[in-house]
Amino acid sequence: MIRLRNVEKVFSGKTTVHALRGVDLEIVSGEIFGIIGQSGAGKSTLIRCINMLEKPDRGEVWVDGVLMNGLSDKDLRAARKGIGMIFQHFNLLSSRTVAENIAFPLELAHVPKQQIQKKVESLADLVGLADKLQAYPGQLSGGQKQRVGIARALATEPQILLCDEATSALDPETTSSVLQLLQQINQELNLTIVLITHEMAVIQEVCDRVAVLEDGLVQEIGAVVDVFTRPQTQATQRMLQGFVTPKMPSQLATAENTLLHLTFADQQVHQPIISQMIRRYGVDANILFGKIDQMKNASFGTLFVELSGPQPQIEEAVDFLRKNQVEVEVLS
Amino acid sequence: MLWQATLETLTMVSAATIMATLVGLPLGILLATTERGHILEQALINRVLGAVVNIGRSIPFIILMVAIIPFTRKIAGTSIGTTAAIVPLTVAAIPFVARLTEGALKEVDAGVIEAAESMGASPPEIITKVLIPEALPALILAITLTAVNLIGYSAMAGAIGGGGLGDLAIRFGYQRFRGDIMLQTVIILVVLVQGIQMLGDKLAQRLYHRS
Repeated sequence: MIRLRNVEKVFSGKTTVHALRGVDLEIVSGEIFGIIGQSGAGKSTLIRCINMLEKPDRGEVWVDGVLMNGLSDKDLRAARKGIGMIFQHFNLLSSRTVAENIAFPLELAHVPKQQIQKKVESLADLVGLADKLQAYPGQLSGGQKQRVGIARALATEPQILLCDEATSALDPETTSSVLQLLQQINQELNLTIVLITHEMAVIQEVCDRVAVLEDGLVQEIGAVVDVFTRPQTQATQRMLQGFVTPKMPSQLATAENTLLHLTFADQQVHQPIISQMIRRYGVDANILFGKIDQMKNASFGTLFVELSGPQPQIEEAVDFLRKNQVEVEVLS
Repeated sequence: MLWQATLETLTMVSAATIMATLVGLPLGILLATTERGHILEQALINRVLGAVVNIGRSIPFIILMVAIIPFTRKIAGTSIGTTAAIVPLTVAAIPFVARLTEGALKEVDAGVIEAAESMGASPPEIITKVLIPEALPALILAITLTAVNLIGYSAMAGAIGGGGLGDLAIRFGYQRFRGDIMLQTVIILVVLVQGIQMLGDKLAQRLYHRS
């Protein structure tokens, strides 16, 4: 659906910023793809390269089989009508009502007036704002504004929706309702969604796959569960610190015992592995901390356990855990 | 006499405001959109236009009025009278309107322009469907300010026989020591300015939908 090949972008001004240093990315039709990175990592530039709001200096951007950076201005404008976009600060026209805002891209596409009205009503229904059509954006809450943004972005029935920090200006509750809406339209309309965010929780809640961006490069890419539970690069580990993997308060650990950090992937979450271990190897286990994280299609558990008992038994117990596909990190 | 002068002032000011807007507004749009990073970025045009506008704004009105007499004669057919005075008033107000328009358009959120671009809007569509509607309250206030300023300028139009309230105040009120006429013209001017400003404020308020 979307393919980026060695995309580079340099901003030259008083100081030169190498925002993208050769990004390769492939986004599949129908998935929700997340791009996560700290501010300044280049994610905002990256998402704008997809619809050419930023023109890459080098590399290729393919969308639906079309080389975007080879298009004339006119063809580019036509291509953009097939890519919706929503923004952190919503970017609605303050002089237009909700209905007129949703109608805006349809006016640009020269859709007849009667059709516009019908389309606007059905879109307002979809995003749950049927009763706000005559309101102005200034009278709406942040969540409602973003819903208008989504309705507007979907008006021309695009195949792709780009989300530029779409929930970063919203409170947690509103964020999750907007994310639910995104998931709903992803399934109902088979829409490919690309979102950038600096919030792990957003990726965790809705994304199928994620790319970690740092210093203008993709550091890691894969299914969200894999990247979050088995981060391969330091960049990802830094970003995950304290999120999925909690920090262990060091004063809790007593020196004479063995402290383990256990990570359970999907199936093991439902197995009584710890109690089996205790019975079989006669060790004592003291659970210091534990939690289960819910991802979009998977759950994932973390435990900090203190084991006490004879050394050989402890080693056998650790082997038993590993055999059961629990990831074990011996901390002391 | 007062009524006649009021009519002359209104004629000069409204005609000059309308014409200055017709020319100054497009100029202001050009100034705003050809700036670096804007939708029609054109550094050279922007700089030349900016310089011309600045020159226009730095010439004192009384000098401009005399200096463009040949031009006035060409346009109006004469260089004296109320109709003739409209020409220098318009010329003086054009750069003023252009700068105010530029300022108003630059206040439009860059994000909104970007959103329109992401929907495939062309530069003319962005100007007519985004920039102008979004800046409309500010533009109305800019035109109001221009009209009020032109009332002040029109007082000098007496120098080329333009007539109007300012002229009356100087010739009768000041030079012939007619305090009563002076007072009356000043009162009418105050009422005019208040009226125009109120009208502009009301209109802008009605079009303003930001919270």
